[in-house]
Order: sequence, then C-alpha cells, then structure tokens
Amino acid sequence: MLIQLLANGIISGCTYALVALGFGLIYNTTRTFHFAHGAIYTLSVYLFYTFFNLWKFPLLAAFILALILIAMLGILVDQILYIPLVKRGSSLLIQMLSSLGFYIVLVNLIAMIYGNETKVLSPGIQPTYNIGSVILTRIQVATGITFVLLFVGLAIILKKTNLGKLIRAMRDNPQLISVLGINPRKIRLLVFSIGSALAAFAAILMGLDVGVDPNIGMAAILNGAVAVIIGGIGNFEGAALGALLLGILQSLAIWKISSRWQEAITFLVLILFLLFRPEGILGKRRRIEETAI
Amino acid sequence: MNYLLHILIMINIYMILALSLNLLVGYTGMLSLSHAAFYGIGAYISTLLIMQKGIGFIPAFLLAIAGTTLLSFIISIPSLRLKGDYFVLASLGFQIIIFTILYNWVGLTRGPYGIPGIPRPNLFGIEIDSILSYFIFSGIIAAFCIIFLYLIGDSPFGRVLKAIREDEIAAAALGKNIVRFKIIAFAIAAGFASVSGVLFAGYMRYIDPTSFTLMESIFIVSIIIIGGTGNISGPLVGTALMIILPEILRFLRIPDAIAANMRQIIYGLLIIVILRHKPQGFSGEYRFE
Repeated sequence: MLIQLLANGIISGCTYALVALGFGLIYNTTRTFHFAHGAIYTLSVYLFYTFFNLWKFPLLAAFILALILIAMLGILVDQILYIPLVKRGSSLLIQMLSSLGFYIVLVNLIAMIYGNETKVLSPGIQPTYNIGSVILTRIQVATGITFVLLFVGLAIILKKTNLGKLIRAMRDNPQLISVLGINPRKIRLLVFSIGSALAAFAAILMGLDVGVDPNIGMAAILNGAVAVIIGGIGNFEGAALGALLLGILQSLAIWKISSRWQEAITFLVLILFLLFRPEGILGKRRRIEETAI
Repeated sequence: MNYLLHILIMINIYMILALSLNLLVGYTGMLSLSHAAFYGIGAYISTLLIMQKGIGFIPAFLLAIAGTTLLSFIISIPSLRLKGDYFVLASLGFQIIIFTILYNWVGLTRGPYGIPGIPRPNLFGIEIDSILSYFIFSGIIAAFCIIFLYLIGDSPFGRVLKAIREDEIAAAALGKNIVRFKIIAFAIAAGFASVSGVLFAGYMRYIDPTSFTLMESIFIVSIIIIGGTGNISGPLVGTALMIILPEILRFLRIPDAIAANMRQIIYGLLIIVILRHKPQGFSGEYRFE
C-alpha cells in the first residue's frame, strides 16, 4: 500500500515537475511570475482534445501539433504581455498581475468555447503494468518515462550547450547578456517556448489520464510555483526535486488524511519552507542586496 | 427599485473591502491575495455566533472583527517578513488554506452545504427587515469605514506606510519598525474585511464557502487596480465600476451560461489594459511601476 502510494506520488510529482521546470526556467531567467503558464497548461489539453478527439488526428500528430502551437503561444504571451512592461521598466508585481489577468481571460475563453464540464480524452480502462507490488497504468508509465527523458534533455541543453550557458548567464545577470552582444529577447523567446512546451507535455499526459476541465491550470501552476520555491530558486534540479517531494507528500496526505485537504497541505509546506528555509532545498542563501529584485 | 437598492448594498459591502485592501496595496505596497479569506472569516464568525451561541447581532459583529483581526496576526507575523512575489504567494497560500478549512470542516461550517436562514441584524430591538433599511444600515457602516480609513491614511501612521511603499530601507533607516507597521496595517485591513463579511452574511442570509474563493480575492484586487490605489477615491470609483459593469451585461441580454465567463474576461482584460496604459487606475494616486 505504502509503496503504491509512493509510486503514485512520484508519478504525479513528475507532472508537477514538468510544469515546475518550465515555470522555473521562465521565472529564473526573466524574473516574471508567469501565472499565464497555468492557462497555457489548460489550453494545451484542449488543443490536443480538439485535434485528437474531435478531429480524429493520429495521437502523435495531435500531440506534436498542440506542442508547437503552445510553444508559439508562450512566445506570443511574452511578446504582447511582458516585453512592453519590461521596456517601460514596470515592477515584477505588475508583470505578475498582468499575467494573472491573462490567465483569467484565457481560461474563461476556454470555458466559453468548450464548456465547464470535464472532458474525457481516453475512454475505457487503461492497460496496467505490474512492477513488483506496484500497479501502474500505461499513461502513468508514459508520464514517468517522459519526465526522465525531458529532464535529461533539459539538463544537457542547460549544462552542456552554449545556449544553456547563455540562459544561465541571463539568470545570474540579465544586463551582462546585452553587453555580450546577445539580444536578451532571443533568450526570452527560447525560454518561453521551451517552458510552455514542457507544460504542454505535462498537461496532455495528465489530460489523457484523468480528463480535463477549464480550471485544472490553477492547481497546476500553483503546484509548479510551490515546487520551484521549495526546491530552490535559481537551479533547475531544485524544481524537479521540489515537485517530486510535493507529489509524494500529497499522495501520503490522501492516505493519512483525505484528498480534500491536498491543496491546504501544499501551501502549508510552502509556508513552512518560506519561514524556515526560504532558499529552498537546493538553494543557496543569498545576501540581502542580491535578493533585492 | 429593489434591484437598484441591491446593487447599492453590494457597492457598500465591496467599498469597505476595496478600501481596506487599499491600505495594504496602495499605501504599504503589499499585494495580498487573501482578502476574501478575511471577508469569509468575518462572515462565518458572526453567523456562527448568532446562530449557534444565540449572541446578539452587535456583540457578534464586534467579536467577528476582533476574531478576524487576531487571526490576521497568525498569518501576518510569519509572512510579512517576505517580500515581493514571496509575500504574494504566501498570501495566496493562506487564502487557499482558509477556503479549504471553510469547505471541509463540515462539523463547524457545514462546508459546501452552507448556512441558510441567517437572522436579519437586530439593532437594539429594531430589526433591519427591509431592503431599504439594509441599504441605510450598510451605508452608515460603509461611511463610517470610509471616514476611519481616510483618517488612518492621512495620519502620521498612514504616512509611514506610504514611506514603506516608496522605500522600505529608507523608512527603516528613519527608525521605523517596518515589520510592525506592516503587521498593524494587515490587521486593520483584515478587521475591515470582516465588517464586509458580517454585512454580507446579514444581507444574503445564506453563506457558503464559494463566496470567499481565490477568485474573489483576485476580484477585490482587480477593483483597486482598475479604480486606482493610494487614496480614497480610487477604490470607490473602482468598486462602483466593477459592481455596475456586470449589470450592464445583464441588460445586453447575454445568455446566463456565458455571462459569468464574459464578466471574468472583461475583468482580466481591464487589468491588463489598465496596468499597461494607466497604472494609477481611473482615479488613484499611486502609480504601480
């Protein structure tokens, strides 16, 4: 029982981790609290639903199409929403609120078009696999594998390539990037497209597993943001670690208490971290001048 | 006529919410997403005291304010040391925790079933039983709150809050205990939010947790962003605008199924456009930068 719960927790942690990796990548590089990420998450499932369930595209084609469109939307949100604010020198709070505004608009548009009810993407019972005493559905296994592949891929991009070096440089000092003769907007473009695509992966896998309704994005973005903070701002392994921890905690909470308290527990964990270890599990303590952002 | 009075009562209730949040956002520069939680706590404390303990309206009203203010300390003392995004996220966390408690502690709050049949307020033997008298009653309370919050904003205390908003380190250098000022501002804001909660419960005569969600907190924030912050007129203009706006949609005969979504979309767009083009809102003093 305990092992099964741990496994379930890790799998849902994997989807949180994909959201958190994207959110963290954007947050770390641009300092924007990207609430709209939640709406992008929601929209990616609905796009997939439209292509796969309504228009009967093959699964892979629907998936790739949704992924590309979502990556483009991520870039578009940056271009039309954040860059004008950044240019004007607006505070991060303004960007956060604008992002929230965008979230509200997009989610309600989705609700108007598709309705508020839950849509099922893959009807019928999933085939299951027995691994030792743990039973996992096919989607769950796919989620785990996808997470591992994307995590490794992202690690290689960030740590081994020149591009990754630039992204990390921008994270540490955004001004220096332009001194190097590189347009920071190009890096933003990259970060927003990769981040959004990561969210789409998580969202579509989750959608195939449990279906979709217009409000799933809020929980997703909140879990993602909490994971980034408890994992430690400023490094991407932290986000994944925080997400897995959150997934396991929530899964144990369902067992010991009740699923109804899941959200409260997430935020209790966040608040405890903010109080006692604000730099997160893997973060480094910073001096006050460094944190004044 | 009743329809008009209903709108005016709602404006009275939201005016207090917007003005008290303004004390945090506009004066002190702290964006809190937990205002609906305090609004709800006020409504629940007064309702439970009246209905389960048989306490009169006025003592229940006062106890609700006291209880909410006390509760705000539990929340503010840990989280007000946090800055910027972290504070916003912590306040959002508390909003969600409080909502989850209201929703799941069925033994106390009846959870999703809500509490029906809340008695009308009774002031010294006079029952506020008509919609007109409720409008007058809520108007008097709102006027009192406006005056009180105006005086706070205009006092030396209010000027310290504005100093914190402009430059926290400079204010600290002047010997002001920043965290203490923030905690007091937070407590005042929470106390006034609970006044709205009591008025709301007494007017609706039914409460359930869905009136006090995160979206409600966001709605209150959007009122003061759109109206403007840092003075008294901004939140007042914002409240009038945001309460009347959905009523206009009603007259446009937009079907109910999409009206709620339409309303939210308009709020969202207004937030984006105002922040981009008119960061002081329609009538505010403080420019969000």
